[in-house]
Amino acid sequence: MATAEERPVQAGIRDRAELLAKLMIVPAIAYIVAMIGFPFLMAIFYSVSDATTGDPTLRIIGFQNYAAILSDPVFRLALKNTFFFAFVSQALVIVFSRILAASLMQEFRGKWLARFLVMLPWTAPIALGTIGWLWILDSIFSPIDWILRNAGLLGTPGALLGPETNMYWLGRSGLAMASVIFVHVWRLLPLATVIQLAGLSSIPRDLLESAEIDGAAGWRRAVEITIPLTLPIIGIAFLFGLIFTFTDMAVVYVLTRGGPVHSTQVLSTWTFFKGIQGGDLAQGAAISLFLFPVLAGVATLMLRLARRTEVV
Amino acid sequence: MKKRKQGLISRRDFMKAAGVGTLAAGIAPQIILPGRGYAAGKDLKILVWSHFVPRFDKEWFDNFAKNWGQANGLNVTVDHIGLAEIPARTAAEISAGQGHDLIEWVWSPSQFEPSVLDLTDVVKEAEKRFGKQLPLCTRTSYNPFTKKFFSFCPGWTIDPGDYRKSLWEKAGKPEGPETWEDLITYGGKIKKDQGIQLGIGLSQELDSDMAARGLLWSYDTGEQDEKENVILNNPKTLEAVSYMARLYKESMTPEVLAWTAVSNNQALIAGRASYILNSISAYRSAQKQVPEIAKDIYFTPALKGPRGTRWASEHVIYNYIIPKYSKNADTAKKFLIALVENYDQAMFQSELYNSPAFFDTPVPSGDRGYPAVSGAKKLRDLHNAWFDDDPFALPGEEKGKLKVLKDADKWSTNVGHPGPSSPAVGEIFNTFVLSNMMANAARGMKPELAVEQAELLTKAIFATWRKKGLVGGKT
Repeated sequence: MATAEERPVQAGIRDRAELLAKLMIVPAIAYIVAMIGFPFLMAIFYSVSDATTGDPTLRIIGFQNYAAILSDPVFRLALKNTFFFAFVSQALVIVFSRILAASLMQEFRGKWLARFLVMLPWTAPIALGTIGWLWILDSIFSPIDWILRNAGLLGTPGALLGPETNMYWLGRSGLAMASVIFVHVWRLLPLATVIQLAGLSSIPRDLLESAEIDGAAGWRRAVEITIPLTLPIIGIAFLFGLIFTFTDMAVVYVLTRGGPVHSTQVLSTWTFFKGIQGGDLAQGAAISLFLFPVLAGVATLMLRLARRTEVV
Repeated sequence: MKKRKQGLISRRDFMKAAGVGTLAAGIAPQIILPGRGYAAGKDLKILVWSHFVPRFDKEWFDNFAKNWGQANGLNVTVDHIGLAEIPARTAAEISAGQGHDLIEWVWSPSQFEPSVLDLTDVVKEAEKRFGKQLPLCTRTSYNPFTKKFFSFCPGWTIDPGDYRKSLWEKAGKPEGPETWEDLITYGGKIKKDQGIQLGIGLSQELDSDMAARGLLWSYDTGEQDEKENVILNNPKTLEAVSYMARLYKESMTPEVLAWTAVSNNQALIAGRASYILNSISAYRSAQKQVPEIAKDIYFTPALKGPRGTRWASEHVIYNYIIPKYSKNADTAKKFLIALVENYDQAMFQSELYNSPAFFDTPVPSGDRGYPAVSGAKKLRDLHNAWFDDDPFALPGEEKGKLKVLKDADKWSTNVGHPGPSSPAVGEIFNTFVLSNMMANAARGMKPELAVEQAELLTKAIFATWRKKGLVGGKT
């Protein structure tokens, strides 16, 4: 009979690194499958069916829903608005976050306060923050209008912004779109700024000092050193923001509900109105999936950039 | 089996097939197992909207439901929800096959017909005991195409015109507008001379949707006829849409294009609107917040169109559904009958915001929680007495302001008039097709084009729901 010392040691699960690694990742995979994969499959299934919110039975009808939404003028307008809203707001986010990040890299009194204030919009629940903007941009009681009136810029004959007492920020198509873009930029700016700050902080100090000794400062240093070195991380901020903007409905829903006359309608809000409020779940699913190929491409690009950033 | 032969797949079947292998054990049963009624045994779970009049919920409905449960040996739970969340919540509960036994909607829940019980027996029982149901209530709860009562409607809310008497007096029309044309003639004059605009929403929200319909009906047109055929594109609609473009130009400002559901209330209370279309809730809020403005607010019935027709939409229509998954359907049905039986309290505790669907319901005897009204035998008597002499008028305020709304059931109708409130009508309402048609014209689009665009959307929506077998008429 072999003694305990002589018996070959049986490798426990804790010693089998490969198996352990697989086991440890199972919860994450299960979570992704349950919370993202399964609903995604359901959405695809709905989009080729005649599903409604009120009927548990459905028929497969092929691509009829896609054909129907393509012939819907509101969908086409929402598609155009979605691209405009996403690209313009992300371009502004990148520019402003770059300026903010560069400013916050400098040493100055009250820097912590500035950083705190920059982060504030990100910490507040978005619906709450947007309701605040809804009041600020109110058609009758807007404090911005009050300031403009008191400054003599609005509400008197010959005033720079017109004789009417209010700007009607959310009642005129152009101003409404500008308002939703502005609030969305306000909301995403903190995150983008933090990402850009991280990028700027990762640039080796000796490189910047060498550049300074060689006489490269200001604009030249930005163009030749900081921007190229932080480009992958700027790309990540841009693409993340783009996906976020394409798929989010909070700002538009709270501020305008897509109005006036669908002029700020985007695909995410139109999905909700058509699929949930209107009850046509199948067309709602088709609308929501319409941008999936674009978003998948953007996500792939983002992951590649992230990998490049790791190398840097 | 039958379903499979017909090529139908249950959403739950699909979820089972696709999900069993993949879902985590703790999550799967919540999503995929069918028929797990939430309430069991002697429980009744009710989901209702958060009433605009807070005392209605706090001081009456919750207690009424609880006391009724106790009297019947049941545990009744009442949950409240914001009105905007009702569709998503109902869809989620229906899809999960579990949730509340009774769900209250404040517009027609017609799209849920395949998933809810036919309540014909409840309506028959109610009509046997309380008299004929108001036709506008029937048309929001009954599908004449499938011949089913998909919901039960115990009450509704009047949607009158609310105007500021002092402003209209100065303009030479102290009794307020009588016709839609008056809104341009006198409303325009008030805007020009007194600087106060008129407020009829042209926005993507429900009050604007109702206003657009009221205008169309008063111009003898609408989105559908009695048989659910789309009739939108006709000369009378063009006439109504052209009128709205004129009204906007003469009497309103771009604020109405951005309004939310509460904006017209706010504008009236703030003294920034000469006339709005809303329930008496705007007035009740003013009584509490700005009594001086409240004393100046008076009411008009539906405005007459060019040929004398006048219709207004109901403002809120209460509709209860019992999902098929409910294991307490009989209890739920009994509760609905009890609710009608006690609707005198609903009327009073809502400060006359709620009106009954069964006006001939006898007034129960005993202490009803309000000062007894002498000679009132039926809800109609109570309604008339309270509207003649408003028990909620402020001290020193004229008490007969609501008198003009006494016969509101004669000039109020359902969304979808003269047809039923079908799922197609509901989707048109919730995707703002008609309010945007009006807004397009107001913003300068040719009325012909605005109507054509709305017709295109309307026809597509009707076609979709006809394929589901829930809407009549011809494509």
